[in-house]
Amino acid sequence: MTVTVTEENPLDFGTPAMVEGIAQVVAVEGTLVWLEPEQTTSCGSCASSSACGAKGIGTTASRLEARRFSLENQAGLVVGERVVVGIRENALVKASLTAYAIPLATALIAGAMAQWAEGRDGITMAAMVGGLLLGLGLARLGASRLSARGELAPRFLRRADAAIVCHPVALNKPKAGK
Amino acid sequence: MKEYILLMVSAALVNNVILARFLGLCSFMGVTTRIDTAVGMGLATTFVITVSSMADWAVEAYLLQPFGLGYLRTVTFILVIAAAVQFTEMTVKKVSPPLFQMLGIYLPLITTNCAVLGVALLLVEGRMSFIGATLFAFASSIGYSLVMVIFAGLRERLALAEVPRLFAGPPIGFIVAGLLALAFMGFSGMSTN
Repeated sequence: MTVTVTEENPLDFGTPAMVEGIAQVVAVEGTLVWLEPEQTTSCGSCASSSACGAKGIGTTASRLEARRFSLENQAGLVVGERVVVGIRENALVKASLTAYAIPLATALIAGAMAQWAEGRDGITMAAMVGGLLLGLGLARLGASRLSARGELAPRFLRRADAAIVCHPVALNKPKAGK
Repeated sequence: MKEYILLMVSAALVNNVILARFLGLCSFMGVTTRIDTAVGMGLATTFVITVSSMADWAVEAYLLQPFGLGYLRTVTFILVIAAAVQFTEMTVKKVSPPLFQMLGIYLPLITTNCAVLGVALLLVEGRMSFIGATLFAFASSIGYSLVMVIFAGLRERLALAEVPRLFAGPPIGFIVAGLLALAFMGFSGMSTN
């Protein structure tokens, strides 16, 4: 979902930048809409994938289904509509630090302490795995805290223009006979 | 202790994965249009490289070497890396579904990142201890992330600059990458490792 970034208001430097992505409405349940991000391949391409040779890892429907998310349907969205959603760019950095830096730090600290105390590869390995698991537990706590503050929730920004695709060839293709 | 510090400085700066070994160039050019995306990709890659290198070291030490299966190293490491990426994806999804929705995009990209396999093969070549191999992998990936973030910063500045039409886009990106590689050559000589 995180491909392009724009400013909400480029002249207002106090406004945090948003990381934008295109998503498609796949279901409407009462006041909620379920959206599926439109990233279909490992290259980050989108609706123009039929014109693109990049196929492979990350193209399955199940992968996209796993990344479905819901939003409040304040804009009256209907199934099939493409919308632009966004998150604050500092939220992306915070999320990355929470998910990856905490488990890595605890694993490395545990490994370094075990190496200093015992100096054997097997013990160090076990300590690192233990540290990694501890770090994942801490990351879970940190993520739930971020989530409770609403920092990880994407926001509806606007309806997507039908012409917004990522593959420039598809957009600039000359018409037959010209 | 000094040995490990030298090893890490050497892996991160002197023999930088991207600018000295020319690995991971796809993500280097593809995910460095913004600093925040470069940070996200860098941290995800750091995690995967470190975890998969730990697993690769164990597979090499307890399976491939004792049974004389060295010729299967590349295939085995690719499997281990794919498993590590899958593990990371499942773990992030389990730990926090919102985090998975936000960060899931980077993980499929890492499976095909040659820097991950390159680092695993390098640490086997180096015949290091487990902690040495893990620190080498961690430092290599920190070097990777550092270059990604620096390059993303430069590209953000370039987006505001008036670049001649012929050089706009990837051409000026490659020129800047070359200059960055020259700058990193300044680190050579800090460590002989």
